Amino acid sequence: MELRSYIIRRVLLLIPVLIGVTLFIFGITMLFPPAQRATLYVTNMRQLSDLPAIIQKYGLDKPFFVQYGTWLNQVLHGNLGWSRAISMPVAQAIPHLLPATLELAIFAVPLIVLVGIFLGTKAATHKDKPLDHGTRVVAILGWSLPSFWLGLVLMMIFYGYFSGLLPPGRLGVQMDILVDSAAFIRYTHINTIDAILNLNGPVLLDALRHLILPVMTLSVINMAFIMRLMRSSMLESLGKGYILTARAKGLAEKVVVNKHARRNALIPVITVSGYLFAGLASGAVITETIFSFKGIGWWAWQAAVMLDIPSVLAFALFTATLFVVINLLVDILYTRVDPRVRLGGAVQ
Amino acid sequence: MEDLVRIRDLTVRFHTYEGVVYAIDDLDLDIRQGETLGIVGETGSGKTMTALAILRLIPYPGRIESGSIVFFDKGLRSELELLKLSEDKMRSIRGCKISMVFQEPGSALNPVYTIGDQISEVYLLHQRQELGRQAKRRIDSLLGNGGTLAASIKRPFWRWQSRLYNKIAEGSNPLEPRILSHIPLFRRLLWRLKDEAGLLTVSMLKDVEIPDPDRVAGRYPHELSGGMKQRAVIAMALACSPELLIADEPTTSLDVTIQAQMLELFRRIKADRGASVLFITHNLGVAAEVCDRVAVMYAGRLCEVAGVEEIFLHPMHPYTKALLEAVPMPGKELQTIPGALADAFNPPPGCRFHPRCPSAMPTCQHERPKLKEVAKDHMVACYLY
Repeated sequence: MELRSYIIRRVLLLIPVLIGVTLFIFGITMLFPPAQRATLYVTNMRQLSDLPAIIQKYGLDKPFFVQYGTWLNQVLHGNLGWSRAISMPVAQAIPHLLPATLELAIFAVPLIVLVGIFLGTKAATHKDKPLDHGTRVVAILGWSLPSFWLGLVLMMIFYGYFSGLLPPGRLGVQMDILVDSAAFIRYTHINTIDAILNLNGPVLLDALRHLILPVMTLSVINMAFIMRLMRSSMLESLGKGYILTARAKGLAEKVVVNKHARRNALIPVITVSGYLFAGLASGAVITETIFSFKGIGWWAWQAAVMLDIPSVLAFALFTATLFVVINLLVDILYTRVDPRVRLGGAVQ
Repeated sequence: MEDLVRIRDLTVRFHTYEGVVYAIDDLDLDIRQGETLGIVGETGSGKTMTALAILRLIPYPGRIESGSIVFFDKGLRSELELLKLSEDKMRSIRGCKISMVFQEPGSALNPVYTIGDQISEVYLLHQRQELGRQAKRRIDSLLGNGGTLAASIKRPFWRWQSRLYNKIAEGSNPLEPRILSHIPLFRRLLWRLKDEAGLLTVSMLKDVEIPDPDRVAGRYPHELSGGMKQRAVIAMALACSPELLIADEPTTSLDVTIQAQMLELFRRIKADRGASVLFITHNLGVAAEVCDRVAVMYAGRLCEVAGVEEIFLHPMHPYTKALLEAVPMPGKELQTIPGALADAFNPPPGCRFHPRCPSAMPTCQHERPKLKEVAKDHMVACYLY
């Protein structure tokens, strides 16, 4: 009961958050003069001479709150506008593009989190030994490599030098046609999962082949962060009194570390992992763009470049919602890991 | 009385970036069977390190440089040189034959596990065979009675469980339960061990006078008061009926009324179980209350060891005398010991107390006094005697 009322409260909190976010982004687009915004509605050259008519038609010179109200009204009726970036209604664009982004996140996040936690634990238990120094060097390297650079270098090596070994995109041309044919049922639009459900090996292999580089690019950078966080959190936990108690009980070092220290050390890592997943699920903009992995992040980039305002607003709405929901999940997960945490309260 | 632990020439040093800390320097100390030995001294005098050295849990970068700690195992009737044991063997002694109660009950308990889980852990670790025997007995009684349909369906499963727990009871690390305990879902098949451990836990909690032990076992540490937590920690330390219980300032962080209860508990435990207790404290009043003998430490060395009455009525070492003078009394001006505690990096040569000693002699400055017996059961390390 406590849980349900907490969830309802948090979901209600989403409304002011979304209004705030859209007000902000809508406000930024209003900085452009009406004539400039009117050009965005132009579909052929003849209309260019008739900008005042367009301004009149869409109410682009009305006061800010009237325009915002109009947009909000449309959104509440399910009309998010037309995305020029990908030439389809925005309401359809999100379900169309989300599976690609989710696929990336589904592969990248567990890899990042599990390997990060594992290496962070190892670094902490081997503090100031070669293994610790080794992971530190790797972490700093990973952290300081910009993702656009790493992505391009990886592509140069695995797509350029090894001529097409690991290509960009989501699927090869042949597989793309196969996937859209009647013989292949799209359950989720997530290629790897669909391939498994259709028992189609070649599609699965091809999808994985396309996933390796973007997942690698995302992992190297984020893993470094999780690893360092886990290391410091683990070191703090290992210095606590209950670790000495656990050792004095006669427990093996493995049990002391994996049972008594790790559970306490995981708490900050859970928060960061939640945000990491939210960040990746709302689109890894640079990585998706470099590998033309057509997901939410790629769309956000296209929309920003083309001044596709309805898309940008929808992207903001989507991201904000996702962050609030993930935040809620992280809070609930906290209570599972740390009994001292109560929903809606602070640590006692 | 026979000795339970005999410490000889124990030296512990910490190798830090700033230099070497002489935490314990050539310490000789005996703990006798069934006695409560108090170690008294200021902060940083090496009391806790002595205790941790016995358990071989000196934290990094500290190291036991030399010496010997012999433990007389009553059960096995054998002498064990603790400093030469393998890590595995040492683990089987920690928490089982020698256990420890720490100063801060708040931080000594893991906040994310229940009290019951944390105490059961000790039983599951050290008394697996006994738990297996108990579980088998319980299943056998299930097999014995009941002619209902449900019982006859479950019977083959019970038979298998009975065999399984029998293997655990026989010990020698049998393969089948070992495999089971590594597979997440199958681990549940060994739940009876946990159940038996839970029962022992509850009776242990009752033994340390925790009211409503069934409920407390399911509680998390933050849901209990400081005194209750300390009782739970004591229950954890006593779980396997250790031969030596080390209590490191167990009452310091508790308020005075709870302190008195706790001391009463320690006295009763000792009377009931006949275990030896190594009681570390900086509070002379507490030492007088619970100890049979008292050892006074200063800057990593032993100054004086004697029976509790002897040391309070006839203190010999100037440091002990100064300590007793420094106990606040109504109607008497409080005496302090001049100077500061010896620098741990550069301890004074000779007797470490000589810079603060009112009766220091020239020899004290460069020669270390040896511990010698000046009266019956009264050892002092001082050139005055």
